[in-house]
Amino acid sequence: MRRFLFMRLATALPTLLGMSFIAFAIVSLAPGDPVMQELRAMGVVPKPEDILAIRAQYGLDKPFFSRYFDWLIRALQFDFGQSIASGRSVIDEILIHLPATLALALSSLIGAIGFSLALGLAAVSAGRATGAALRGLTILLVSVPSFWLALLLIYVFVFQLGWGRLVGDGSIGDLILPTLTLSLGAGASLGRVVYERVRAEMCEDHIRLAIAKGLAPPVILFRHIVPRVIGPLATTWANTFGALLGGAVIVESIFGWPGLGQLILQAISQRDFPVIQAYLVFMGLGFFITSLLADFIVILSDPQLRREVSNG
Amino acid sequence: MDDIIRKTRYLPVLRLHVSAGRVGLVLGLFLLAEFVALGLAGYVIALPSPNSMDLLARLDGPSADHPLGTDHLGRDVLARVAAAVHISLGAALAAMAAILAIALPWGIIAGLSGGRVDAVMMRLADIIMAFPMLVLALAIIGFMGASLQASILGVAAAWWPSNARMVRALVLAAKERDFVHAARLCGASRGRIVLRHILPQILPPLAVIISLETASVLLALSALSFLGIGAQAPTPEWGAMLNEARPFFAQAPHMLLVPGLAVSLAVLAFNLIGEGLRDILDQREPYQW
Repeated sequence: MRRFLFMRLATALPTLLGMSFIAFAIVSLAPGDPVMQELRAMGVVPKPEDILAIRAQYGLDKPFFSRYFDWLIRALQFDFGQSIASGRSVIDEILIHLPATLALALSSLIGAIGFSLALGLAAVSAGRATGAALRGLTILLVSVPSFWLALLLIYVFVFQLGWGRLVGDGSIGDLILPTLTLSLGAGASLGRVVYERVRAEMCEDHIRLAIAKGLAPPVILFRHIVPRVIGPLATTWANTFGALLGGAVIVESIFGWPGLGQLILQAISQRDFPVIQAYLVFMGLGFFITSLLADFIVILSDPQLRREVSNG
Repeated sequence: MDDIIRKTRYLPVLRLHVSAGRVGLVLGLFLLAEFVALGLAGYVIALPSPNSMDLLARLDGPSADHPLGTDHLGRDVLARVAAAVHISLGAALAAMAAILAIALPWGIIAGLSGGRVDAVMMRLADIIMAFPMLVLALAIIGFMGASLQASILGVAAAWWPSNARMVRALVLAAKERDFVHAARLCGASRGRIVLRHILPQILPPLAVIISLETASVLLALSALSFLGIGAQAPTPEWGAMLNEARPFFAQAPHMLLVPGLAVSLAVLAFNLIGEGLRDILDQREPYQW
């Protein structure tokens, strides 16, 4: 297992390097000169020699790749410089907002997994009419945009029933509505995958054999189908987590949940490049770690792969 | 005899019996036709201009003058929703065209070359896929500045790698068919093999992918406009209209309902078409207990 972990990380290294390069390049190639912006922010009319001096101070006179390696070395120490807008250190800003976003994404992922399993399995085992109705419901839920769903939920639960509140302070209770919004949408698209996978599995011969042996449906489902679909599902769970990290931006901005979404939207409108850069790196890392976890589940769930890994 | 075989192969829809997929497909096509009709409605019936304001009729509910009510500036909601058809669907189709323009050649070249070329091309796609898609789109909009064009480019840049991967998977399966080998042995050129033997094979599953991906691109673009970093304020766009409606939530719920329904139904249309096509193409029957 240790060897596998080592190999997996070794093959991930080029990807991680490429990711960091993209994060750097997107911001470095952006139009607008950061030096001029900073000088303008300070309210100074720049003289040519001042500009040159500041360029040298930030290392902007160096060639592109040497700047990239400087940035990479600092990024490895979690030093992303200072926010152009607030002047505070970027990493502090990110760390303040990161836990809220992670909490939202994780709780939504759990909700979505539960919802999708229920929906997908019900659609598979139900009769023709109920199954079609459940699939219709799934497609409908996939199609409703999360921001509209959020507004509808606010309308019903906050304005009509008065159960929640709109301006939260980041307590657990304020997490319920945003989580519900995200897990309904993500759960429906996951449910579609569950349905596809289970249905594909039910076309296989070993299921036919199991039915012919007279096994009870729950036994077939949990002993013969679930072990075979759990691996591929884990990969989609990881992808869903990535989608939730992105979707969180939308839902956070509606519910006022104090996560990274607020920070990044502000950074985009103020063209605060160091913040955008760090956000990209952190979201990429979070996604990378989840994919790694998913790979473990894939291996643990597949006896053949498990044997290969423990022998090799 | 040959003729009959060809017909049944190319027109599977003709075997008439009702199934959930077929109903969905028809429903989806019908919804899409409705949107086209709504988009063209301005040419047929006299709708007020989407940006003309009637300051005396702000936040009005549905009435004879304004069938779907007015917004906070007294603009006709129906006219704006109809005008947004071009922009919202147009943006989604433009993004989808850009995605396919990259993903199709990328996937076909990677799938056909194999070996080192394939490995390098897929690695490059993997690097971009290592970011959550919406997050990457946000970053690209961040560096280009908020506009509808930036959001189209951002979505295209974030969405193409996964599409390239799907195209490659289809090509890998398609190129192993015996008749493709036979064509190659007959000395057919690469271009001919791709155009005459590979593309026709991958087109039906590709139609499913395109339709489902258009749905997700449409969702993403309207979400970006809703966040205020896609289409900008006076532009009639469904997401942007919802964004403008947010402060008037309690007073004028119709401002929220109409564009929200428009996005949902448009996305639903593409999803139904995609799922319906998939159902028709997938002829496997699960064993029932």
